[in-house]
Amino acid sequence: MKTSYLTDLTCSDCGRLFLINEVHTFCPDCQSTLISNYDLATARQEVDRDMIQIRPKGMWRWHELLPVQNPENIVSLGEGDTPLLRIPRVGNELGLPNLFVKDESSNPTGSFKARGLCAAISRAKELGVKKVIIPTAGNAGGAMAAYAARAGLQALIYMPKDTPTANIQESRIAGAEVILVEGLISDAAGMAGVKAREEGWFDVSTFKEPYRAEGKKIMGYELAEVFNWTLPDVILYPTGGGTGLVGMWKAFAEMEALGWLADVKRPRMVSVQAEGCAPIPKAFHAGASFCDFWLGAHTVASGLRVPKSFADRIILSNIRESNGTAIAVSDEALITAQKKLAAQEGIFAAPEGAACLAALEELVKQNWVKSNERIVIFNTGSGLKYLDQAVN
Amino acid sequence: MGSNILYIEDNPDNMMLVKRALESRGYILLEAPNGLHGVSVAEQQDVDLILLDINLPDIDGYEVARRVRASSKHALAYVPIIAITANALKGDAEKALSAGCDVYMSKPINIRELWARVEAFVPAPSPK
Repeated sequence: MKTSYLTDLTCSDCGRLFLINEVHTFCPDCQSTLISNYDLATARQEVDRDMIQIRPKGMWRWHELLPVQNPENIVSLGEGDTPLLRIPRVGNELGLPNLFVKDESSNPTGSFKARGLCAAISRAKELGVKKVIIPTAGNAGGAMAAYAARAGLQALIYMPKDTPTANIQESRIAGAEVILVEGLISDAAGMAGVKAREEGWFDVSTFKEPYRAEGKKIMGYELAEVFNWTLPDVILYPTGGGTGLVGMWKAFAEMEALGWLADVKRPRMVSVQAEGCAPIPKAFHAGASFCDFWLGAHTVASGLRVPKSFADRIILSNIRESNGTAIAVSDEALITAQKKLAAQEGIFAAPEGAACLAALEELVKQNWVKSNERIVIFNTGSGLKYLDQAVN
Repeated sequence: MGSNILYIEDNPDNMMLVKRALESRGYILLEAPNGLHGVSVAEQQDVDLILLDINLPDIDGYEVARRVRASSKHALAYVPIIAITANALKGDAEKALSAGCDVYMSKPINIRELWARVEAFVPAPSPK
């Protein structure tokens, strides 16, 4: 049995080819994200989706479609296979009987970031990387620290000084050096980039290495599987860097190429941001192909304080291709939604995840969703990690 | 309108990348490796747009922008300035705009975005 069908990497912009047995960040020619390519034609002949269903639970049961070449290099903490929960009370209130939450809070380190960092750190280990660096708005730092500790790699993290305490503590207890930065994740990214270049750290920033998106894409495979190889009609996704949105859109295309989907109709993707930092909705509704840097970003949802994603072009392109939309919600609305999810459904969501419910309420008012549609909102992490910020 | 782009940047790798990208579109790139040299080139030559790195070895990009805007060469009060930084300090974007820059871009420089930003001010001389 083949471990992975990964064949090569290509630049998402110019198409330049990169070898998979070398360490890569992003395309040096046009400074764009690298995309992982798989031999899907062969995988279609050799990989049985029904066999994957009976393997032990977790992200790595999809290993043929993940980048690690030697299973000994997989650095796992039990990520993936998070529950898809129907939320009937909230759904009934909104007139949406088929409303679900994909609850990523049960991942190691309490957020969806575990998936991407698991894949990235595993590949970094496989390629001989010894020390990794990341700028983070919070949860990615905690996840990188945990997986780096598990892999025996040195870890350095730059995060805004007002990052939730839980993210700072979880990173430090896992042995990472944490540098608190005056400013936003964009400021942290600048410092991490300089440090990486000067001292040879491998930068696992969002979309600046190719494999985090691969870990995240498995969320899309899991959705298809649980819906009996069909896809939901609408997905609402809180968008900071946007890895999950891009990853899932890639997963849908891969599954179509693999012949695994009973119905190839894809979801409309909704990118959800906060009113205090909404570069994607602004660019989307302006018809722009990339985002302006958002000035003065502020929101209690720390994961959404990303003034400009490195892969903004891909995110905008994916949303448009899906006939989706982008929407910003107020902090007040997302906190109200957070309380509603907890009180009515028992889900203590991260503020970023709660933002998706607030966005859905707005889309219902706009008649953008239909009552018979199957809708999935993503809760990207546990509200327990934000006790000092979002909940009062 | 001309097509002279002045790039004030001390990093030779970035200079080469941008030179290749803009020359492929028919622009003429004027190079300045530090802030003082950049101000001097702007004052002495016809410049249609300035790409301005903020972290320079002598005067920083904010000061360059202020000097360009205050220049006795009247045209420099209006020449478009695109600030390009690595976000190394808090509030780079806000400071760049208040110093007189028109647009802010963060590194690494995505070439497709660079083309679009430049062409918004100065149409590409060669057909796309």
